Amino acid sequence: MTGTAPSLPTLADMAHVIRSKNAGPTQLTIDVFLMDAAGYALAANSPAMSCAAVAARYGLPAQQVQRHLLADIHAIKYVLPRAIVAGSPGDGDVYGAQQHGPMLDIVP
Amino acid sequence: MNATARLLQSHHTGAEPLRVLSASGQLGYGIPEEAFRRGMARAPHVIGCDMGSVDPGPYYLGAGVMAAPEAMIERDLELVLCAARAADVPLIIGSAGTAGAGVHLDATLAIVQRIVTRRGLCLRLATIRSDIAAVQVVSAQRAGRLDPIGAIDPPSPEDILACSHIVGQCGTETFARALALDPDVVIAGRACDTAIFATLPAMLGYPLGLCLHMAKIIECTSLCCRPGGRDAMLAELTPAHFTLESMNPQAHATPASVAAHALYEQADPLQVEEPGGSLMLHGAWYEALDAHRTRVGGACFMPRDKPSLKVEGARWAGERVVLLAGIADPVLLRVLPQAISDVEQRVRTLVPGDWLLVPHVYGQGAVRPLAPALQATHEAGLVLEFIAPQAALARTAAGVFKQNLLHHAYPGRIATGGNLAFAFTPSELDAQSAYRFVLYHVMRDAPLDMLFRVETTDLHGRPPH
Repeated sequence: MTGTAPSLPTLADMAHVIRSKNAGPTQLTIDVFLMDAAGYALAANSPAMSCAAVAARYGLPAQQVQRHLLADIHAIKYVLPRAIVAGSPGDGDVYGAQQHGPMLDIVP
Repeated sequence: MNATARLLQSHHTGAEPLRVLSASGQLGYGIPEEAFRRGMARAPHVIGCDMGSVDPGPYYLGAGVMAAPEAMIERDLELVLCAARAADVPLIIGSAGTAGAGVHLDATLAIVQRIVTRRGLCLRLATIRSDIAAVQVVSAQRAGRLDPIGAIDPPSPEDILACSHIVGQCGTETFARALALDPDVVIAGRACDTAIFATLPAMLGYPLGLCLHMAKIIECTSLCCRPGGRDAMLAELTPAHFTLESMNPQAHATPASVAAHALYEQADPLQVEEPGGSLMLHGAWYEALDAHRTRVGGACFMPRDKPSLKVEGARWAGERVVLLAGIADPVLLRVLPQAISDVEQRVRTLVPGDWLLVPHVYGQGAVRPLAPALQATHEAGLVLEFIAPQAALARTAAGVFKQNLLHHAYPGRIATGGNLAFAFTPSELDAQSAYRFVLYHVMRDAPLDMLFRVETTDLHGRPPH
């Protein structure tokens, strides 16, 4: 973390896994595993973690993002369309494994 | 009688658990031998390996090339073939040669033949060919039976006919046809990962939902453990549940790690589509047996009326040459997109023709869009793709572009020695052919029996007398 003022915890502080990966060449899936039930509850109920908020971070309309809440395992999953089908000319991430960045500094 | 019939005849479902060993989730990248040997010491009834995926992109399907290094494929195949024959248990391999088209299957079979000869193995081999004729796909599209999976443009009939290879992901129905021929070894072209591990258990009468759920987890070997890894994974299946155990004693299958794995690479964490129906995980439960093993149950299978088939097809997009360079001048880095565009305009007048430039500026948003404040102004990496119908044209465009960008007089330039830092020369490299997926679709009402060709051959390491 940077800065000296105490700041609210980000998703990166609250989760033990934040990952992105293709679900096939046309979709991207982002999985967030929170540390505990309290963190999960905070994140799952936060407007900053809504489909619309996450869609905005990825430059997508809200209706193109789906969200799955998995309380048992403190996980939240998002499914997004890929801008370019994996590996087509112009793609920059064939596996979709480095698309998690916009999630890291969300403050739920 | 061969290994499959012997198992089908001797195993008493319900009386003893069925031990399924997953040796590899990506055969050809080095099966960890110690864990595999530990798995073999547990006397598995069947061994499975996944060898392919759509993940590495359209090149391998399009070009008909295997992604893994051939020497390591041979090493891995030799390890599992010899172990399976020594134990006389069925070995099942799916998605041969990465993309699972006929050309990949044949390349895999050539390696198998070398091993069989070298090691003096005798075995009956069943093969499944997963190639789908383009005309079948075109007529499915015409009949409204071709649905996109996710965001992909509808292919034109010409796109489909121009695919160098089209494959379908065969499922348990097709593996059952191959296993009915009593092979020792099954090698399938493109296949559902699940079918590799689920089919034999289902033929033995274990509930299909349970078999598929087990298969879905173990097809990635120990990835479902904490820490995740590539070590062999054992599942002990009963009619009511299965127990997961990594063959690496340090990789633990916990209820949380196993349940979390259901999310991996999966758009819907609770429903997995198979050709014959849907695997429903809504009722799945996970309980710790001890610190190392987790027991799983509760999945069910919902058959659909008419089978659906996932089809994948890649079409050639041109020949690719890449130019690699670094830039460390802050003035140029602030105007780089404009500089690239100015140089492109000049090069287009020098090199006419149908070439495409795809710039990737690492440090300034090549991987994902970056806000201006985050864009590098001290050092960035440049990867410029040139794609053209002929490699010679792509090479010419890349070479001329390189020299013109090297000495481009962008506004405000003070560093006049040259604009690019090359780590080596030549800095423009041939990068094979470019492909794109034009098919990643579901073909509804697919006649599975007619689409997949199943054959057997008997292989003898020593000439038969």
